[in-house]
Amino acid sequence: MTTGDTTWGVKATPHARTPARTPRWRSRPAWLFMAPSLAILGVFVLWPIVRSFWYSLHTWTVGATDQPFIGFDNYVQLTRDPQFWGALLHTVEITAVSVLLLLVIGFFLALALASENLVTRIIRSAFFFPYVVSLTAAGLVWRFLLDPNIGLVDGLSKALGWGAPAWLASTTLALPTIIFVSIWKNVGFVMIILVAGLKGVPEDQYEAARLDGASRGQLVRFVTLPALRPTILFVSVILTIQSLQLFDLVYVMTGGGPLFTTDTLVTLLFRDGFVNFQTGYASAISWVLFLLIVIVSALQLKFFRYNDVD
Amino acid sequence: MKKKKSVAIGAIALLAAGAGLTGCSSSSSSSGPVDLTVWTGFTGGDAPGYKQIVKDFNASQSKVKVTMTVQPWDTIQQKLPSAWLTGTGPDIAAPAPDPNVIAQYVKTNSVLPLTATGSGDTKINTSKFASALTKEFTYNGKLYAVPANYATLSLYYNKKLFKAAGIASAPTTVAEFQADAKKLTTGGTYGLSLADNNTIQMWPILQWLSGGEVTDSKNCSALQTQASIDSLQPWVTLVKDDKISPVGQSGAEADSLFSAGKAAMEINGPWAAPGYKSAGIDLGIAKIPVGDDGTNVTLGSTAPLAISAKTKHPTEAQQFLAYWTSKSTQLKFSKSTGFPPLRTDLSDNATLKADPTVSVFASQVPDARLYLPQVPSATQVDANGYVPFIQKVTRDGDVSADATSAAATINQLTGCSS
Repeated sequence: MTTGDTTWGVKATPHARTPARTPRWRSRPAWLFMAPSLAILGVFVLWPIVRSFWYSLHTWTVGATDQPFIGFDNYVQLTRDPQFWGALLHTVEITAVSVLLLLVIGFFLALALASENLVTRIIRSAFFFPYVVSLTAAGLVWRFLLDPNIGLVDGLSKALGWGAPAWLASTTLALPTIIFVSIWKNVGFVMIILVAGLKGVPEDQYEAARLDGASRGQLVRFVTLPALRPTILFVSVILTIQSLQLFDLVYVMTGGGPLFTTDTLVTLLFRDGFVNFQTGYASAISWVLFLLIVIVSALQLKFFRYNDVD
Repeated sequence: MKKKKSVAIGAIALLAAGAGLTGCSSSSSSSGPVDLTVWTGFTGGDAPGYKQIVKDFNASQSKVKVTMTVQPWDTIQQKLPSAWLTGTGPDIAAPAPDPNVIAQYVKTNSVLPLTATGSGDTKINTSKFASALTKEFTYNGKLYAVPANYATLSLYYNKKLFKAAGIASAPTTVAEFQADAKKLTTGGTYGLSLADNNTIQMWPILQWLSGGEVTDSKNCSALQTQASIDSLQPWVTLVKDDKISPVGQSGAEADSLFSAGKAAMEINGPWAAPGYKSAGIDLGIAKIPVGDDGTNVTLGSTAPLAISAKTKHPTEAQQFLAYWTSKSTQLKFSKSTGFPPLRTDLSDNATLKADPTVSVFASQVPDARLYLPQVPSATQVDANGYVPFIQKVTRDGDVSADATSAAATINQLTGCSS
């Protein structure tokens, strides 16, 4: 692959003479190598996204011969749809509560389990296990466990004389229950990532702080947390995007009910798109979700001062 | 650098937000015998019955070979519209367990009008179908589907719990039904297991029994009428105050409750019988109690079986539907699954009448009504109108006030203007 002193796709040696048109020439093989991925991304990701925006400007029904163009009417209609506002609120609630609690619980678990010995390894594996289970399977198991009449949780609760709340059939308990299961599912992931981050914090920083008389709390506050900032940013962005797109768990556990109290943006768009066949309207919802994800991710980057991170 | 990072983050968000509205498809090929593909979502106790139909059809001749793929209804619902539209879907499919779904496919010209109708084994004998079924699948004078099955709902009861409560037999009137439900509700068990979501509807039967209606002949809501309110109120009181049933159950939860022996009665279709029996329930099956006006009524349910408008083998596909709905096939199917026959010429069949399970379901065929038949946007009327209405009134709602707001939702969905 080497011709003379120029290597394909490899930076030329500093003393080589660099003709003016080399950068463009050098980038050609790069484009060639990227072409398959770009084609796949373009056809299966970018094009559907652009297309869904086009759908959202129409009263689009899959297969209909007439797809009337209505401009932004679907978006206007969304502002008047109580189910949409409900779903948006639940999505934001689920995201805010679960991401915050996951970061806090995950951080303390990571602190407690960062040391390397057999016990911490077993406990870490136990916490991580739910993360590798499919969300649908986890949802089904929890739904069975939480059944107020034949479930294990309420059986124990009744045996202890605490009664048997209808976790998923109650309009007040259903959403917190789903948030709880979502946290149970993801906390191991957060913990593992933060443990990895903790191991990267240089020991000499702790030593220096201790020499300056820092307390245990001050070590966490002024050494650990700042050092973990890039890791926390990564985890929070991933968790936020996951939570904003939450579907499987809700679909399996409550289907968005009772009385739409657990509806999320994705369960709503699924219902409108695939049950009611209102593809245009569902596409408008997906675009609202997309914008929400962009805005929230941008805010997170700002909050965690992404640009200051090395 | 900042710009590059923003672009990168934007790209990640784009990927993450790719809640795509795309479908996938399958295709059929032809060489030698004609290959026909069929998608259905039958996974209950009746599933072997459908598989047997396909097996028997393939064995009965050599020119057509049918392959049936069973997948969850949700999956079919996601894939089929685009698959049929692009001509890559199966030749034949049951698009959903809900008969109303056919309207949507008719609207998008995705289903083939069936023309091979008439008498004899090689034709689809529409004149022999229960009349409600043919009517349900006919749009603008053309038939677009055949019933894959026809189920009526009956009253399942737990004989052991009845005996323990000192009740000798299943209720036969609404008054007995309500009194028994109350009496059978003890500390650990419920009198009746009612579901209000993700289920075949049971609540309309309770309303019909006492003169209530969900919609009228003009597709307008009838929930707000005094007769409907009066029909619902006693059941709401029984659920809210006497706790005869848990609130907010899905169909699967209601079934589990009955299977676990924690509910004395449940209204359900024939597909549930094998599961209840294998769960060890001392099972009784009875007709739905007679209504206040002395007439019988129950809910009938059918899954449509339709042909893709783009199939390359319309003749063979219709031949298969003719076989599926033929007299001999349906007799065998009813005997093996407990489903009532979808044909009227089997209603007096001695073998079926002698079968204790089939006979109960079959005897109610003449009294069965479909839920929201040919009501525009029926799926949404159910999901956004009737289901939330029942969920509200059984929690802390008021029947009259909630009926008025549900009526407004339903009328908006059906386009009713009167």
